[in-house]
Amino acid sequence: MATRRIVSQEKTLLEKDDSIGSSPAANEKSSIAPAVPTSVIMKLLAFTLGMIVIPIGSYFVTVDTVFKGNSTYAGALAAIMANVVLIGYIFVAMAEDQSEQQQGGGGAPSSTEGKKDR
Amino acid sequence: MNESEFSPKFAPFIGMGGIAAAMIFGCMGAAYGTAKSGIGIAGVGTFRPDLIMKCLIPVVMSGIIAVYSLVISVLIAQDLAPPGQGSNYSLFNGFMHLACGLSVGLTGLAAGYCIGIVGDKGVRSYMLQSRVFVGMVLILIFGEVLGLYGLIVALILNTKSKG
Repeated sequence: MATRRIVSQEKTLLEKDDSIGSSPAANEKSSIAPAVPTSVIMKLLAFTLGMIVIPIGSYFVTVDTVFKGNSTYAGALAAIMANVVLIGYIFVAMAEDQSEQQQGGGGAPSSTEGKKDR
Repeated sequence: MNESEFSPKFAPFIGMGGIAAAMIFGCMGAAYGTAKSGIGIAGVGTFRPDLIMKCLIPVVMSGIIAVYSLVISVLIAQDLAPPGQGSNYSLFNGFMHLACGLSVGLTGLAAGYCIGIVGDKGVRSYMLQSRVFVGMVLILIFGEVLGLYGLIVALILNTKSKG
């Protein structure tokens, strides 16, 4: 009787697969958070939607109301609005990069980041 | 349909060729720019995922090339009407719409080609040296302005149909 199984503390077969490695058990929530932060995804979605809707939408809104049927000015306005979206994207991308630098570089090692940005 | 020497039957065919040329060539340029710079972004993103947001600028610019073509196509399509008693689509309008479509389409093809190559090599260089960014954006803007010139010429040409 040197070794005796303590049956009360032993896990049953159903309890053994609580968490195997990185995969969670069935009753736990698995981590589905994306690697990219949600704010960045929302910005990209907003710019995608804006790129689709804003130029052609501004054309059809202003062609009969503002420009009284002069479709040339409305077409020029649509081209200008497309460039406005582009400039807005460039500013947002620059601000994104600067905020990541102040936080010490998101994801990338900060030593190489400082060396590159010198 | 009152056919005359100045408005023959085949005049709308030439004008619709202009619409098709604008969309086809412009989207060819935009697709090349998106795909080629997308290859570069995929290469950069595996090493420096924090740079992807800034590297997406050539993709946005390629989208603008397609918007130019779309605007000109909509403008030309509003001048076209099915032949009836009132409408009189002259051969001059047909050739002018073809010139509109070809100018915006082929300059869009040129601009998209430029954006694709500069976007691919530019984002790869930006991964190694961050000072390349300002130069890359300037070169991309100058490349995209080529498409804008075609759009301006097409818009000016399109005003001549009213007179």
